Amino acid sequence: MLHNKSFAKKTRAGKVTKQLREHYLRDDIYCGAPFCTVCNTSGARLSATASTVLVLDTNVVLNQIDLLENPAIEDVVVLSIVLEEVKNKNLAVYNRVRAICSNPKRNFFVFSNEYHRETFVKEMTGETKNDRNDRAIRVAAQWYQNHLGGAVKVLLITNDKGNKRKASEEGIFAETVESYVKSLDRPDLLDLLVRPASEDVDMEEVEDLRPSKRKVIYSEHKPMSEITSGLHRGIYHQGKLRVNRYNPFEAYVGSESIGDEVRVYGRSNMNRAFDGDIVAVEVLPRDQWHEEKSLSIVREEDEDEDEDVHLAPNSADDAPRTAPQQGSSGEVNVVSSRPSGCIVGIIKRNWHSYCGSLEPMPMPAGSGGIAHALFVSKDRRIPKIRIQTRQLENLLDKRIIVAVDSWDRQSRYPSGHYVQTIGEIGDRDTESELVLIENDINSRPFSSQVLACLPPLPWSVSPEDLSNPIRQDLRHLRVFSVDPPGCKDIDDALHCYALPNGNYEVGVHIADVTNFVHPGTPLDDEATERGTSVYLVERRIDMLPKPLTEDICSLRSDVERLAFSVIWEMTPEADIISSRYTKSVIKSSAALSYIEAQARMDDSRLMDPVTTDLRNMNSLAKKMRSRRIERGALTLASAEVKFQIDTETHDPLDIGMYQIREANQMVEEFMLAANVSVAEQILKNFPLCSLLRRHPTPTREMLEPLLCTAAAVGVHLDVSSSKALADSLDHAVGDDPYFNKLIRILATRCMTQAVYFCSGDLSPPEYHHYGLASPLYTHFTSPIRRYADVIVHRLLAASLGISKLPSVFHDRLQLTSIADNLNYRHRNAQMAGRASVELHTLIYFRKRPTDTDARIVKIRSNGFFVFVPKYGIEGPVYLTTKAEQGSGEWYVDEQQQKIKKMDGSLSYSILQTVKIHMEVVEPQPNRPKLQLTLI
Amino acid sequence: MRGIQLPLSQTQKVRLQKALEKLESLSSKVNSNASVTISDSISVNHEDSVLKGHGTADLNGEVVATVCGIVERVNKLVYVRALRSRYKPEVGDIVIGLVVEVAQKRWRLEINYSQNAVLMLSSMNMPDGVQRRRTSVDELNMRSIFEEQDVVCAEVRGFQHDGLHLQARSQKYGKLHRGQLLSVPPYLVKRQKQHFHHLEEYGTDLILGCNGLIWVGEHIEGKDDMVDDQVNESAPEAVLPSKNYVSLDQEKNYTTLETRKYICRAANAVRVLSTLGFNITLEIIKGVVDLSLSMNLDIHDMLGSEFCVLVAEKEAERRSSNKKR
Amino acid sequence: MEFVSPEGLRLDGRRPMEMRQIRAEIGAVSKADGSAVFEMGNTKVIAAVYGPRELQNRSQQISSQALVRCEYSMANFSTGDRMRKSKGDRRSTEISLVIRQTMEACILTHLMPRSQIDIYVQVLQADGGTRSACINAATLALADAGIPMCDLVTSCSAGYLNTTPLLDLNYVEDSAGGPDVTLGILPKLDKVTLLQMDSKLPIDILENVMQLAIEGCKAIAKYIREVLLENTKQLEYRRGV
Repeated sequence: MLHNKSFAKKTRAGKVTKQLREHYLRDDIYCGAPFCTVCNTSGARLSATASTVLVLDTNVVLNQIDLLENPAIEDVVVLSIVLEEVKNKNLAVYNRVRAICSNPKRNFFVFSNEYHRETFVKEMTGETKNDRNDRAIRVAAQWYQNHLGGAVKVLLITNDKGNKRKASEEGIFAETVESYVKSLDRPDLLDLLVRPASEDVDMEEVEDLRPSKRKVIYSEHKPMSEITSGLHRGIYHQGKLRVNRYNPFEAYVGSESIGDEVRVYGRSNMNRAFDGDIVAVEVLPRDQWHEEKSLSIVREEDEDEDEDVHLAPNSADDAPRTAPQQGSSGEVNVVSSRPSGCIVGIIKRNWHSYCGSLEPMPMPAGSGGIAHALFVSKDRRIPKIRIQTRQLENLLDKRIIVAVDSWDRQSRYPSGHYVQTIGEIGDRDTESELVLIENDINSRPFSSQVLACLPPLPWSVSPEDLSNPIRQDLRHLRVFSVDPPGCKDIDDALHCYALPNGNYEVGVHIADVTNFVHPGTPLDDEATERGTSVYLVERRIDMLPKPLTEDICSLRSDVERLAFSVIWEMTPEADIISSRYTKSVIKSSAALSYIEAQARMDDSRLMDPVTTDLRNMNSLAKKMRSRRIERGALTLASAEVKFQIDTETHDPLDIGMYQIREANQMVEEFMLAANVSVAEQILKNFPLCSLLRRHPTPTREMLEPLLCTAAAVGVHLDVSSSKALADSLDHAVGDDPYFNKLIRILATRCMTQAVYFCSGDLSPPEYHHYGLASPLYTHFTSPIRRYADVIVHRLLAASLGISKLPSVFHDRLQLTSIADNLNYRHRNAQMAGRASVELHTLIYFRKRPTDTDARIVKIRSNGFFVFVPKYGIEGPVYLTTKAEQGSGEWYVDEQQQKIKKMDGSLSYSILQTVKIHMEVVEPQPNRPKLQLTLI
Repeated sequence: MRGIQLPLSQTQKVRLQKALEKLESLSSKVNSNASVTISDSISVNHEDSVLKGHGTADLNGEVVATVCGIVERVNKLVYVRALRSRYKPEVGDIVIGLVVEVAQKRWRLEINYSQNAVLMLSSMNMPDGVQRRRTSVDELNMRSIFEEQDVVCAEVRGFQHDGLHLQARSQKYGKLHRGQLLSVPPYLVKRQKQHFHHLEEYGTDLILGCNGLIWVGEHIEGKDDMVDDQVNESAPEAVLPSKNYVSLDQEKNYTTLETRKYICRAANAVRVLSTLGFNITLEIIKGVVDLSLSMNLDIHDMLGSEFCVLVAEKEAERRSSNKKR
Repeated sequence: MEFVSPEGLRLDGRRPMEMRQIRAEIGAVSKADGSAVFEMGNTKVIAAVYGPRELQNRSQQISSQALVRCEYSMANFSTGDRMRKSKGDRRSTEISLVIRQTMEACILTHLMPRSQIDIYVQVLQADGGTRSACINAATLALADAGIPMCDLVTSCSAGYLNTTPLLDLNYVEDSAGGPDVTLGILPKLDKVTLLQMDSKLPIDILENVMQLAIEGCKAIAKYIREVLLENTKQLEYRRGV
């Protein structure tokens, strides 16, 4: 074990110091080939039958990472010097290389050439660092060739001409990436290759074929030094770019140095920045600030980004955690007092892979098979990406994943490369997969480590569980559960028992998930990541493994199960006298569906104990509900639709609005009460580290559109408080029975999102839940499908002294980040669910063009948006075609919210009923969309 | 390993190495096996009751060394002789010391021991040679006998409650002047019958103090024990080189160049031997001085690397010839 | 930052259980009674011992044993940037105290009453583990001076980074902010005389790290013993009969 001192000169803050580091050279570093006779082969990773071993250059690893991730590339030796250089240049690529190297299925071996006595290379005088590293790579390759002998060919892969030449001179086999991949005879791999910028094809070829396109040149990004000095002086502001989901040419930069958000409007002002990048923005002079006009349905700069038909939104998007006033989507009609700016530089890029498909284009008339195509991402915030591909005809009808490489000033679009295919467009599974990828949902099966944390099946309540002093034996209680039909993961059950003193004992029993999911285990880590179960139309992505969700934790009927119980003593007027919490063992006597429960309650002939309990609970629930409404709880209408799925083809058979019955409301009432009780209990004990849920009050700005619309139809809404709003909504009655519901649906859109938060981060007044009119709220009742409930279970158990509070609660920052992650996952799950519903809607209507009623909900200059109550969807109806736009045939009356024909013959006002025709059309091949037209 | 801090050329290194190896081979095997370091256990026959002497300690019934050195066994006594340590006084040793303090009725001398030694006023001969009780006047005149930084030769008298006491009653003890004081590790100076040596051919005196301090000086009559009778006559002159008389006695106190050269040679010889770690005896010193004279070496060259190597080689020869005999 | 690569190599090429190269030299300061230079990797420390000798301050005299004094200092040039005040600051005082207490525990002071033993330790080059190197150097110097000790004291540091216990941290690993355990033991008597730690460490892992440090100390003790034995033999044969 030799010892060698190597000198490194480093500069810190301008000061030059000489650093002395030790550098031990070893002779116990092995080559990693299992057939090697000299070395210890216990750590060998190369395959036994390898005929060619590849040694990669740094730039090859940096640029061609997608190629390397493809399983076709194997038997690669990654040198430690290459890994170090990659780590210094690009951490993301480094992580991916490490992932490949540690993957046991891939034959990548990491060779520590810097510490091996024979392959250590000392810097020669006058040699630059890069040259030295290149020399080290060549020496290592040479050593490998000598070491492995003639049976195996050691190939150095490098695109650097100088390196290649020197390697050939030294007798090392060297090839460029392209020639190697060509020799493998796999044309699909060639697509994964990234062309270096210098070899880029002339821009002219690639420009969009439509003649109306102009050549756009972006202003240069300012160099970093200028940006930093500008930031110091306050000319530039730093912040994250948030692109409007519905209008990709509008974006906001939220910066602390400027109180408000800076709007960035227009492609040239956005200057090649992506959503999520950290950018430096310069505020434009006041006269250049962009006024928001009453927008047409988005068309900008000859782009034809049409609005798509989509589901009615449930809330204003992008609800923040803390207060600053935020506008939401670009649909809002706000007089612009916000400063506008343009982006002068990008501080940190947020590029990753995007899923979507290629823009339909005619096949190129033969150019060696390479075609330049434009990739359109599913996420509308991302601009189109230009890629080169050999398999254009193959890919045109597929959903693919593409990664971005660069965005030149001269080029209208960024350049990227193809990574992989998901499946065919329109294929239900592919589209579902796309929905999941887009929303960052992990649908991979649970790893073996996670499954190892489960108790062995078949599982049943054991004598230890029964004898555990913390657990109360409640098997004698008549417990039952009410859930949607076909529900297998039952996480809540109820009981109601009349006490001799006239009061009722009501209990809510929740599945005791934390008994099986312990902090720090792989199961818990996986659940933390997933955050929530995702409900797509045809399937459910579970947060916890199926054995837990459907069997061990699920409170099925006629089996003993472990539960966490909240038990109240209530007067017949539903006043809570006392509440207690305990872990328990229960045995559910019936697992009813909502329909069944409702039927039982309604059937006056039935007098069995379960039905009596149901009726008692129902009356209590009604009283609780009325009290809640008294306090100001809002009842908003949901536009949720439900699908009936054909069991064989999994195609939607029928689509309909979700029916709410009394039974639903009864269960909901008790769940809410349980959540509030638990919230009180945990906050009392852990005022600084409880996980609660709040609903911020919507601002005046957010409610503007609703007020406008309501005013136009003569309804006065008082939005001073939630109670006032609830009352005015009750009084908003119109000509037809659906009017009220419609107003409620519109009100729903103005609401903020409810979010999880850590109680130590905000002050008590901010804990308020606007929608439920409750000062305190949390999620406790569904631990099987929500991780927040698991956390609250742990908090509750600690507050009762049953178990110790896990260490994560002591770290506030970590708790806050967990809450943020839960919010993120919750939002994503919601969006995924809605996207799945939209997808199925499209599939449903594909074969069934329908005529139906619709209500106008928004007026625009060239048409209006309608809402179809029967199917719960919303979309644009155009009155003028694109060609006619601006012809002045129609004009908009803002005050009355009407659109009128110039000659006065026709007019449409808001909330008016119209008849429309719905049908799926394909204006571009492989781009089905649902079109609504007036009849 | 103590390295010789001299710049040696390659050939010199080789020669030195050879000489040292020869010495090593000549050394007694017994001794090298008996070397121990701290906390090495000493093999002892437990049945015999063994007396644990200096440098040993008892650890769970095992005899363990507390210093690095050589194990010596004398009958039932087992002790570890440390090499490079401070001087360990024994009664009757001749020592040379440096006066560091003039205290009440005594002088304190630094003798390379863990404490300073005490030379009582009463243990000194009075300048006039009269044996009388020391009065307070004598006390006040102590400085006229010895002052700070004077080099004194004395004999160890014994341990008293307040430290080590010396005595300088005889004529051969007392203040030393006109010479050089050298410091070598005490273990290089063995206890012998004679510590005062007179090198006639060079006219120098050599005193080998058992505490490692060595004096090389001009030969002063009356310091030899052979000329004891003449002590009374010449002693006063020698013992009292008071400063008051310096101008008058300057001529008498002048040391000739020749003598000084010889003094220097002798001193350098001692230095070389100390660097090399060889025993210091009269014989060996004489041999080294002769060697340097025979080569006509300049005095300061004696401290150079070449001479050092030569001395080493000569010593090796000498020992091997001794062994053969 | 990756301190232990997935291949099991640290930043300087050692494996987690390996110490740096050690080197010891006795007799560097010829004027002192005992002296030694001890190197652990790039950390270089020189120690000089004077004693037992007369007390300089009579009032501090202890009638039954020797007074042990220790002074630790870092040379101005020992770290990358030239330091100005390196003596008398808090860290130096603390380390001086630590070394004094450690050495005092093993010197048999009762054999040398009314005297004092001075240990001067100076760091010539600092690259992590200076405390341990100082203690090792002091042990060597004391042994060279022939001062009786009940056992050698050896010391080594260990840490815990990237969930791996590491032996003998160098400066880069030390400044990573992870726990740094310095351990001093009497190898033959198997006793711990010094245990210091920076930062936090769960108690079950502390045991592992301490065990690792003890292994390191024992290896150093073996080396020191060899060096001392070699030295003794050499002195003896040179001296002759």
